[in-house]
Amino acid sequence: MIGEMTQVRGRGTTGRDGFVQVLRSEWTKFWTVRGWTAGLILAVALTAGVPLALANGAASNGNLPAVATGPGGVAVNDNFYFVHRSLAGNGVLTVRVTALTDGAFPDQGAGPIAAQPWAKAGIILKDGTQAGSSYAAVMATPGHGVRMQYDFTHDTAGLPGAVSSSSPRWLRLVRSGDTVTGYDSADGSHWATIGRATLAGLPSTVQAGLFVASPQALRNGSETFTQASARFNGVSLQGGWSSGAWSQCEVGASYLGAGVAGGCAQPSSAGLRPGSVTESGGTFAVTGTGDVSPYVPAVDVLGGVFKGTLAGLVALIALGAVFVSSEYRRGMIRMTFAGTPRRGRVVLAKTIVIGGVAFVAGLAGAAIALAITGPKLRAGGWTPPMYPLVSLGTGTGLRIVAGTAVVLALAAIFALAVAVILRRSVGVITVGIALFVGPLLVAAAVGQRAGAFLLRVTPAAAFAVQQGLQRYPQSSAACLASHGCYPLAPWNGVAVLAIWAAVALAASWYLVRRRDA
Amino acid sequence: MSQVTDAVHPVTRMAASNGSSEMLAALRAEWIKLRTVASTGWLLLAGAVVTITVSSAVVAVEKCSSASCAVDTTKVSLSGVQVGQAAVAILAVIVIGGEYGTGMIRTTLVAVPRRWVMLGAKAAAVSLVTAAAGIIAVLGSLLAGRIFLPGNGFTAAHGFQPLSVTDGPTLRAAIGSVLYLVLVALFSLGVAAAVRETAVAVAIAGGLMYVLPAVVSLVLDSAWQHRVLRVAPMSAGQAIQSTTNLGKLPIGPWPGIGVLAAWTAAALLIGWLLLRLRDA
Repeated sequence: MIGEMTQVRGRGTTGRDGFVQVLRSEWTKFWTVRGWTAGLILAVALTAGVPLALANGAASNGNLPAVATGPGGVAVNDNFYFVHRSLAGNGVLTVRVTALTDGAFPDQGAGPIAAQPWAKAGIILKDGTQAGSSYAAVMATPGHGVRMQYDFTHDTAGLPGAVSSSSPRWLRLVRSGDTVTGYDSADGSHWATIGRATLAGLPSTVQAGLFVASPQALRNGSETFTQASARFNGVSLQGGWSSGAWSQCEVGASYLGAGVAGGCAQPSSAGLRPGSVTESGGTFAVTGTGDVSPYVPAVDVLGGVFKGTLAGLVALIALGAVFVSSEYRRGMIRMTFAGTPRRGRVVLAKTIVIGGVAFVAGLAGAAIALAITGPKLRAGGWTPPMYPLVSLGTGTGLRIVAGTAVVLALAAIFALAVAVILRRSVGVITVGIALFVGPLLVAAAVGQRAGAFLLRVTPAAAFAVQQGLQRYPQSSAACLASHGCYPLAPWNGVAVLAIWAAVALAASWYLVRRRDA
Repeated sequence: MSQVTDAVHPVTRMAASNGSSEMLAALRAEWIKLRTVASTGWLLLAGAVVTITVSSAVVAVEKCSSASCAVDTTKVSLSGVQVGQAAVAILAVIVIGGEYGTGMIRTTLVAVPRRWVMLGAKAAAVSLVTAAAGIIAVLGSLLAGRIFLPGNGFTAAHGFQPLSVTDGPTLRAAIGSVLYLVLVALFSLGVAAAVRETAVAVAIAGGLMYVLPAVVSLVLDSAWQHRVLRVAPMSAGQAIQSTTNLGKLPIGPWPGIGVLAAWTAAALLIGWLLLRLRDA
């Protein structure tokens, strides 16, 4: 009987039970060292406390710019030059765009400015002329081909390529009840559906027609107004359109500095940046400025506050490093490897232990940080629609908290793997700070392109998961690293870090099996 | 224990009678240890090379096209110190933390039982090598600025003179940068003496040098930023590199380095107290 048991246990150490034992012994090593437990508690305190301190210093926002509020309560840009007439009931609007050129205003500094990729010229069907009202539009753009967009946050690509007289674009909107369908064509006879928008609560009579907009651009580091000019011809109307001449006005002129309430201003009174339209022989030349898109504020305050979790991250990197290096330093590693000759399992067990405790520490710290800083920032004037409510109950809040926990866990695992490779903790901390913090500092100091590159390929890409603002691909707002904007989507950034951790783990696995302990 | 020590180590016996020769002997011992460890030379070399390389890269891309560019050419030329300081901090941490790692610290303390003498000798040896490497790094960086900047539009026509250490503010920035590096090293030494674990000491020094600026720059309003940058050791100490617009700095050059010196003194004091109170 005894012999049998011994045999079973002996076999067990090489089977699955053996790994559970390795895991248990690594866990025991971790929690019985008082300094490491203290380090873990410190990591939670830093992860929660530093964002709190930052929120304290950032909790005052007195001067939000005036922007319109779109359907669904999002902050929006809704400024464009509108050549319109009313449509009662169903109808079809077709037009051909033959040119779209772009330039800076003469008073905005010397020389022309390159065409704005998100300048827009096309047709739009809108619930009145009030800024922020519901709409559906099909448009040509210099940089993103033909698009169908509706209600600011929705964007679908149509035909690619820019517009020119040799390569015009036919655009069509078909309204049927509260459904609007967008079509495009390169020749006027073969039509393709781009998308279909359902605009809930669209009134029977809407305003529809031609529109041109060109968003602000960064020039020498400051926002500059730009304008776009487009030529339309072959305008065709079917359905319950009003008769007589076209009307024209500047939608959302107040937000361009004209001092008019959210309505549609006549070009003459729009003041600062008037658009214009001239018609001759069925060809409309329209000039306009502004943008029709979700408004994304320059600075991501919640993401910036969560940058404070970097302090906790460095603490966990140190913990991951020491969890390995202390064994090498004291020669304990030889005992560990004597006990478990399959060294890869030791690395795996350590990875699970450090990853697990770092994840739990990050989850606790980030949840506390969000629960306290969220209301604090709201009280400080960082309020909707521009700064949406983010709490543990919202998708963004859950993403930030869970994402922070995953990032801290992966950082600790990466540190552990590097510690196995280097066998010295000093090098690990140096590498860790250089790869996680260095890119943030450098990206804020160097040009936009180099900065974006760094935040794509380094482990610092993972901090994209902490962004508090919803970013839209169709928003022309500049994505500046110094303002807390990351080039990658939140979880894609985490994936970059995961690749770094996986490569480091693979290298450590390889080396630990080859080298003497 | 002390009997054994006296019997085995003549240095200590000699020291008992003469304080200054005890210090000299300890200093010589620390110097030998520092000189004969391979990492010292590598770290100092890496620190100087990285400082000069980063400084050169920054001045090579810094452009000025008109008379209105408000660039502090001295400070820009010394940018590499931001990176080079890491090598200095690591060196200082290893000097004491490494001894705890290997158990060497027990031998050191048997030979030099007085904690303040041991810590003082280490501080002196670290200061000496840091200052030597720092002088080379700072002069190399300024030389890079002197060579590159005039070609990038920082000319007399735009109101810029070539960098020269005979210029008062530039001399102050140069000497101050070396002083800054020495203080960073001593601060790290004090922290390492207090926490005894190299990883933790490097994390603390790195946190203050890099994490703090990364965290502070984004969201804090300027009043809070200034408050933090005035009291944080490395951020305040770097004010010594500024030569223009001194009124707009969170803290002046000399008060700034004073803040760092105060932090350094506190770190060394706490390190010494903990050395006294604890077993090695």
